[in-house]
Amino acid sequence: MVRADFDRNLKTLQDDLISLGSMVEKAVTKSLIGLKNRDLQLSRQVVEEDDYIDQQRYQLEEQCIDLIATQQPIAIDLRTLMAVLHIATELERMGDYAEGIAKISIMMGDEPPLKPLIDIPRMAEKATTMLQHSLDALVNRDEAAALEVRNADDEVDDLYEQIYRELLTYMIDDPSTIQRATYLLWVAHDLERIADRATNIAERVIFLVTGRLTGVNVSQY
Amino acid sequence: MRMAAGTEDRERGADLAEAAPIIRANGLSVYYGTKQVLSDVTLDFPSNKVTAIIGPSGCGKSTLLRCFNRMNDLIPNFNMTGQILFDGVDLYGPGVDSTEIRYQVGMVFQRPNPFPKSIFDNVAFGPKINGYEGKLDELVEQSLRRAALWEEVKDRLKSSALALSGGQQQRLCIARALAVHPRVILMDEPCSALDPFATLAIEELMRELSEDYSIIIVTHNMQQAARASDYTAFLMGNEERIGELIEFGETRQITTNPEDERTEAYITGRFG
Repeated sequence: MVRADFDRNLKTLQDDLISLGSMVEKAVTKSLIGLKNRDLQLSRQVVEEDDYIDQQRYQLEEQCIDLIATQQPIAIDLRTLMAVLHIATELERMGDYAEGIAKISIMMGDEPPLKPLIDIPRMAEKATTMLQHSLDALVNRDEAAALEVRNADDEVDDLYEQIYRELLTYMIDDPSTIQRATYLLWVAHDLERIADRATNIAERVIFLVTGRLTGVNVSQY
Repeated sequence: MRMAAGTEDRERGADLAEAAPIIRANGLSVYYGTKQVLSDVTLDFPSNKVTAIIGPSGCGKSTLLRCFNRMNDLIPNFNMTGQILFDGVDLYGPGVDSTEIRYQVGMVFQRPNPFPKSIFDNVAFGPKINGYEGKLDELVEQSLRRAALWEEVKDRLKSSALALSGGQQQRLCIARALAVHPRVILMDEPCSALDPFATLAIEELMRELSEDYSIIIVTHNMQQAARASDYTAFLMGNEERIGELIEFGETRQITTNPEDERTEAYITGRFG
């Protein structure tokens, strides 16, 4: 087999990317549990662990640069490396949003949330599912699955709009709720961004499979 | 304009169609005796562009290249079917003078092959036998300048060409080809005997020359095709080891997203 070593390196790279993805997914889930259960210790853990996510992203980037410099990749190899580079950046930013949610939870301190959290966990679930599916599409080189991720973003956007309107009515009704409402609005915004970045990953998968670079992010936000 | 089989309806065809092809191979099959080496190659080479021909060893790249200036005529048992049009004229048609063709379609070989003469005489050689009536000094200077060699040799034009470095000798051979005012320059692995620095100089030169000339280059070096060419043709031997055209397209497309999986396997180094 010609280029067996290169193929092994590409495989390792993808495995590392997927494991970064699952770290990010856990961070998002934990940030929500911390928020919902008012578990500040868990929230602090999410903040600490984000450093590790950042490190992993840089490590992936270095591996890509090494392979580009030493292997002169073209065609599918080049597209794979470019996709990994982009996706690693997207994942790292998603980790930052999880960290942002954890920080809000810490800022809220002992204060109870303004309202019971129902739509926000739903948004989180949809966003993490989008992340999972985009990474599955990557592993399976599945263009159709990647396109579905993109469509799922609309549902997250709808939920975000719904939460926004609801929080707005709280604030109009009673200005003393503004601070607590704003916390939840930030959380919802972070989740909306996470879903957007999952669609960015899906776009990179489409690029990897087809060579087509398309700005398909149809999010209204 | 007809392109490689299966690629006619690609959008990029429109870009290609803008410039009339300088050379067109039409259903070209080539035989050495009973052994067939190329099968039904149909391909247009755009004017004033660099086109790379790539493919594994023995796929008929050099044979194809040599058809374009009738260099294969010199090989015993050479035989071909199909057509090669040079600017619309059948290269193998009756009354076509192969020597005249070779002035219009110059060639640069793998190893630099300067004549054992002075630098000046190497460049002046073709024009002299051609009965060139202009000022030879000017023609030689102009050709050496175009080949990006003038500054390095202007003070020693009477010295032997064999004293030049490999990269300089190759540029001298390019100057020699340019001196007879060709329209096409064929290059058969022009950098395979050169160091990386000299290689980059030749690639740079190809880019510049393509403003005025059409260049067709055979190369084993995929990165060279990627760097230096506008279009790429990929040839490969079939089960009977007869060369066929697999894919032709813009180099940018071939190197980022080839259509045929055989092209992809070859250019990414999975075989060949």
